[in-house]
Amino acid sequence: MATRELTIDDLTHLLRSAAGEEEGVDLDGDILDTEFATLGYDSLALLETASRLGVEYGVTLTDDDLEVITTPRALLDRVNTRLGRG
Amino acid sequence: MARSVVLLFPGQGAQYPGMAVDLYHRHTTFRAAMDEVLSLWGNEGRAIRADWLADWPLIDLDDLRRAQPLLFAVDHALAVTLREAGIVPVALLGHSVGEVVAAVAAGVLSLPEAAGLLAERIAQLGDAPPGGMLSVAASPADVRPFLTDEVALGAVNAARSVVLAGPAAPLEDARARLRAAGFTTLTVPARVPFHSPVLGGHAARSLSSVRRLTWAPPAVPLYSGYTGGLLGPAAATDPDFWAAQPARPVYFADALAAVATAGDQLLVECGPGWTLTIPARRSPQVLRAGTPVIPLLPRRAGASGSDLRHVAEAIAGIVEAAGTPGSDAVDLPTSVPPTKVTATQLSG
Repeated sequence: MATRELTIDDLTHLLRSAAGEEEGVDLDGDILDTEFATLGYDSLALLETASRLGVEYGVTLTDDDLEVITTPRALLDRVNTRLGRG
Repeated sequence: MARSVVLLFPGQGAQYPGMAVDLYHRHTTFRAAMDEVLSLWGNEGRAIRADWLADWPLIDLDDLRRAQPLLFAVDHALAVTLREAGIVPVALLGHSVGEVVAAVAAGVLSLPEAAGLLAERIAQLGDAPPGGMLSVAASPADVRPFLTDEVALGAVNAARSVVLAGPAAPLEDARARLRAAGFTTLTVPARVPFHSPVLGGHAARSLSSVRRLTWAPPAVPLYSGYTGGLLGPAAATDPDFWAAQPARPVYFADALAAVATAGDQLLVECGPGWTLTIPARRSPQVLRAGTPVIPLLPRRAGASGSDLRHVAEAIAGIVEAAGTPGSDAVDLPTSVPPTKVTATQLSG
């Protein structure tokens, strides 16, 4: 299981691949506190992001986690807390 | 720079418990427009209203007999609310049943005739096979190997967001195979396999009555998810085109791309939830043009007053970005005291 910290660059890469590289998602600015809905991520796109996190980082996010995580910062915090414990 | 307003009308899957109920209790124009639509369905309209406002509806909100008419009514009543605020759209695009609302806003069908079309559609789908729709985080090409005679591609909402539709058992089988192949799926709240050929026979049965309606060419440019582009006068006034819709796929991403290349715009989701706002926000065309996307309602029902606040802020944002001519005459939604709706009023 991966234990290195998930950075915003890692997360941006994951988000971009979840939406599809052909999409125009603007993740280049300071997106840490931008709501996922504003970035164009709905429940399906977040589930897909979570699934890729599971495969690449071995972190499982539950539906309850996804319900309360609304920004990239919250997602990074949750994932890194889990990784720190693991 | 003054932006022109494009209205997006959401369809099946956008409904949520308590959608726009708070607005109905507080906004006189919205309430009157909802009541006008519901009254067109007579006794059934009263039953629909009762279930919409009830904590424990007799018929579930996801049932097509509730979701379809309520989505139509809420979308339409919001369009009326915008019109009264002086906001005039330059183009219209609806998803699924939202396309019928767009037809009314474009002057293709009168409101009573559109309500009749919807009632006919619902009646004909009454004996449709139980089934539903499944969102998949994948491209149309990705899901092609999972399509069967019964499970069809029902909608393409974004590059990696498609919807499959089919009867319950084959759709569940497709879901299991997709999961096993590593695809992320999410069930769409629907009880009928909308936009799949399985409904072809049901759609055909509504033809004779749909052909009796009076059709007019669009007075406002009307984009269609069924053609994936601008609807010409011939298609827009072809009853067969409208009758077939429940059995045909929705190419929302294509239609959105066609709308979004037409100039300096502002996209406004004119219905419950953000089901069109979110895919629009990640559309390459929308992003490249720097087009703002504003949903009128919140994503789900919130505290008392939240609908009204959300609509008021959205309208203020639209007026600011659109620089509506005569915008000093714009009426922002006015707060009226919440109305208590009693069981006797509902049955009256």
